[in-house]
Amino acid sequence: MKRLLALTLLTLPALAQVVAVPGWVRLVPPVVRDTAAYLTLENRAKTPLRLVGAESPLAERVSLHRDHREQKGGHTVLGMRPLPHVEIPPGGKVVFAPGGYHLMLEGLKRPLKAGEKVEITLLFQGGGKLKVILPVEMR
Amino acid sequence: MKRFLPILILLALLGLGYLLVPKGSHSFFGTRLLNPKPVDFTLEGPGGSVRLSDFQNKLVLIFFGYVYCPDVCPTTMLALKQAYEGLSPEERKRVQVVFISVDPERDTPEVADQYAKAFNPDFLGVTGAPETIQEVARTFGVYYQKSQYRGPGEYLVDHTATTFVVQGGKLVLLLSPEKLNFAQNPGYLSKVVADLRALL
Repeated sequence: MKRLLALTLLTLPALAQVVAVPGWVRLVPPVVRDTAAYLTLENRAKTPLRLVGAESPLAERVSLHRDHREQKGGHTVLGMRPLPHVEIPPGGKVVFAPGGYHLMLEGLKRPLKAGEKVEITLLFQGGGKLKVILPVEMR
Repeated sequence: MKRFLPILILLALLGLGYLLVPKGSHSFFGTRLLNPKPVDFTLEGPGGSVRLSDFQNKLVLIFFGYVYCPDVCPTTMLALKQAYEGLSPEERKRVQVVFISVDPERDTPEVADQYAKAFNPDFLGVTGAPETIQEVARTFGVYYQKSQYRGPGEYLVDHTATTFVVQGGKLVLLLSPEKLNFAQNPGYLSKVVADLRALL
């Protein structure tokens, strides 16, 4: 928890209660123009919080996705599905991690480098914004 | 004494059975196929045709995926990198990791190979004509389907995310994506490495 980003009061008082525990942006081969970002969002408020989108200066678009899993022919078939929003319940948290939720950075404007920091602004319903800075890591 | 005889015989048989179990037999973490299925394919790599049987003397780890896949594929490809790099240089010479793109529309053999090599330069990326990919997928029981189609070049692909381990032209072991999600289960890495070593 030492790297916990305590967030300052933003546009909405409720957002003062949002804590983002940084994860990472996945280093992908330079031939790939899409990558995934991971972090944990905690809602310490008494009201639900809805993440409705995100943006980053390094990507053309950032979308919310969750892995889709089904069994076919005895094997696990995986894919992903875009989500219109992700709800974080009061007192709860949502973990964005491989195999679950991820922020998809689509159309990277240039290949990322290991160790560099990527700025992502999370957009919440009601107009609240939260800026997070995640390191690029191959993991 | 006589009434104990059956018990003594039973114990003796159990002891004998124990002695007959091969020592050091490995209990597989992945799914071992008891009736290994013969498999082969010819696909296109960056330097021309690649046949699975070109690697007859190697343990071949095959993963079907696509390049524009930011979560599922890198999770498994990173796991394969870690497992491969967990082997000794001598062991690695007897292992080949192959990435097969099921998205030949966007991934050329060069792109598939560059993608695979970004995880480890020894990895190989291949693809082929849509009909050939379909045939190879059928051989392995792999399913893939475009989803969330927004236009040419803009879609996602659902695909079987199992890693297939082939030895001597036969499918011998399956590793599910869950078993290769080291991001969630770091302890699985040593189990996968142990499986590969047991087959080498």
